[in-house]
Amino acid sequence: MRALYDRLKDRFQLGELTRQRPDLGFVTVGRDHLRALLVELKDVEGFTHLVLFTAVDWLEDGQFQLTYLLNNRATAQDLGVRLMIPREGASMDTIHDLWPTAETYQRELYEMFGIDFPGSPRVDEDFILEGWTDLPPNRRDFDTKEYSEATFAERAGRESHDPRDHMKQKLYPDGE
Amino acid sequence: MRDVLSPFTAWKHLFREPVTVLDPLNDRPGADRYRGFHQNDLEKCIGCGTCEVICQNAAIDMVPVSDPEDGDSGLRPMIDYGRCCWCALCVDVCMTGSLTMSNDYVWADANPDVFRFTPGVDPKPWNEEEKGYQRPGARVLASTERVHMGERTAKDRIDNFEEIVAGYTREEAMIEADRCVECGLCVATCPAHMDIPDYIKAIREQDYDKGLQLLYQTNPFSEVCGRVCTHNCETACAARHDGDPIAIRWLKRHITDEVPYERYVDLIGKPEAATGRKVAIVGSGPAGLTTAYDLARMGHKVVVYEARKSPGGMPRYGIPEYRLPYDMLDRDIDVIRAMGVEIVCNTRIGEDITMETLRADNDAVVLSIGLHLGRSTRIPGAESPDVDTAVPLLRKITDGEEVPVPEKLVVIGGGNVAMDIARSMARLQQVKHGKVGVTVTALESFDHFLADADEVRESREEGIEIFDARGPQEIVTFKSGKRKGRVKGLRTWLCDSIFDDQGRFNPHYDESDELVHPADMVIEAIGQAADVSILGKDLTEALEWTRGRIRVDVDGQTSEPWLWSAGDCVNGPDVVHAVADGHRVAQSINAMLAAKEEAAT
Repeated sequence: MRALYDRLKDRFQLGELTRQRPDLGFVTVGRDHLRALLVELKDVEGFTHLVLFTAVDWLEDGQFQLTYLLNNRATAQDLGVRLMIPREGASMDTIHDLWPTAETYQRELYEMFGIDFPGSPRVDEDFILEGWTDLPPNRRDFDTKEYSEATFAERAGRESHDPRDHMKQKLYPDGE
Repeated sequence: MRDVLSPFTAWKHLFREPVTVLDPLNDRPGADRYRGFHQNDLEKCIGCGTCEVICQNAAIDMVPVSDPEDGDSGLRPMIDYGRCCWCALCVDVCMTGSLTMSNDYVWADANPDVFRFTPGVDPKPWNEEEKGYQRPGARVLASTERVHMGERTAKDRIDNFEEIVAGYTREEAMIEADRCVECGLCVATCPAHMDIPDYIKAIREQDYDKGLQLLYQTNPFSEVCGRVCTHNCETACAARHDGDPIAIRWLKRHITDEVPYERYVDLIGKPEAATGRKVAIVGSGPAGLTTAYDLARMGHKVVVYEARKSPGGMPRYGIPEYRLPYDMLDRDIDVIRAMGVEIVCNTRIGEDITMETLRADNDAVVLSIGLHLGRSTRIPGAESPDVDTAVPLLRKITDGEEVPVPEKLVVIGGGNVAMDIARSMARLQQVKHGKVGVTVTALESFDHFLADADEVRESREEGIEIFDARGPQEIVTFKSGKRKGRVKGLRTWLCDSIFDDQGRFNPHYDESDELVHPADMVIEAIGQAADVSILGKDLTEALEWTRGRIRVDVDGQTSEPWLWSAGDCVNGPDVVHAVADGHRVAQSINAMLAAKEEAAT
């Protein structure tokens, strides 16, 4: 993993290598070098399989972190490639031509985070949230509880108790 | 060749344990860490409701399952599986680790209502299932470690009475306040039922004005309680189950530190219009002054009579200044004065003014005289002039009177008063002799020690020797010579049990384990009594008593309709209990005065 990193770090201006396990590492890369790096990993270094492609919402920093997790079957190694993109008007280059499965991940990211992948097939079609009109639900500013309270009917007969009020009522009802 | 042989190498797998399920139609176990149906360990669960708060689908209700008690609301989470998405945030946030998930995920029923259930309470096939999702390690969503409180080192504090604890900075207080999950289990345990979750929230929101107003709603002794409260709230804190309890007492003090003192009275607001009713209070400790504060705010005229030079009672005359600086106590008292309360010092009931006069001149009288007489062990030698009790000595130190400071002394007792006198004397020794020579002998073993753990730790840091499980047998005195009758030491036996089978105080000693602790002075700190001699013969006989204390009802009223009693003298020593008592008595007197008013019109 270290040898691979040393081979690639200058050419693609990689950030530090984080080795989570002997067979799992992560590198960061700039957007300009991403595609070239992925092609190199896939066609030259044997990382032929896209295991997953996902995002993390760094709301406070105004950024999304994308992670492309690749697998090298021959060496049984996983490498995660990470980069940050601006959260505002989030958009990223499509890689469906490198891995056809990326099409599905990109549809998911579009729907759940609102990250666009121009040119990716069917990217703006409903994926699993049919008829969704609210904020993309995996964005951290989406208030799940508020949404479920507004959307779903309350089941009849439900009643909750605040621990503090309940204890007052049972233990010192007159405030004593 | 390899192609020919390789089919046969597959035979080696024949005897391996299969990774497939034998009967997939009937036997479909979830993965080992599958997030399946919920389990709840009812013994561990404290009903704090943090699971309900975090649930993003509002799937959890807290429902009564058992009777509430200190630190346990008796509520338990009921989950609506029509809403649950099995995200497991409830498991991750659980303050005790009681809530877990089994790997069971198959449950079919025609009746949709059965899918609302109370894990651990309702019998379910997965209740005992070991596999499933449990939080990996301790909880991480709320920090488990208390923010360290800065304090002066033993070397810096041993030759003076300056305050030891530094208090939190804003940054530290914010971090500590952020650990609170606002469950409110502590409120029931606090005798004054202080609004703890809300004043901690005020710190988090940096709204100190609001914080101070919340403190004063339930406690006019926040400077005092922010320093020396027995903080039972922290024993009921949900955070203590999987880490340190929230430093509630230090956070309370932090609010008083942050609000400029000049603003206190404005923030609390003015008392109500004068009613023309008069109440006299005997004793200016926390119980008496809390009663006075409440009654004055209700518009009644209150005069407090104090025998000593200065008001404050035990917090001034019992608690050393390194724990509670007197100017901090004065701040609390001056706010109470600002509400119109008059405090008359140097006035002893029975000498300067009688109970009868107070009764004749007032609508009600409150007796809050504390416990200012020290009890004696009455062991042989206790009558020696070198033997003293802790409380009078502490009073002399406060008033700046001279006290004997020998090079070597022994304290009998294991409570906080014993620690207070031991540490005060150690400071005086350090100043006079340049070294500490204090030995504390406690009847209790360290497993059942009475004094706070912090007191024990700090005493040791200051060079005080503590012997646990020692029963005092004799104060050894010189039998002849120039120092005849003067103290030579204290003889103790090992105490192997304090209470008998019936739970009565009946210490048992191992006589073979005897020690003589050398000393020039012995200080007894084994308990205090109220000085009820001030009542006079007639009132003493008229009142009803219970085990040496004046009998009062739940409102603090004595058997005499004009007389109430509050604080340590009826409830035993505890400052925040005294504050709570003061509120109760003020309410009761106000109700009596209102009834009088109504009868008059």
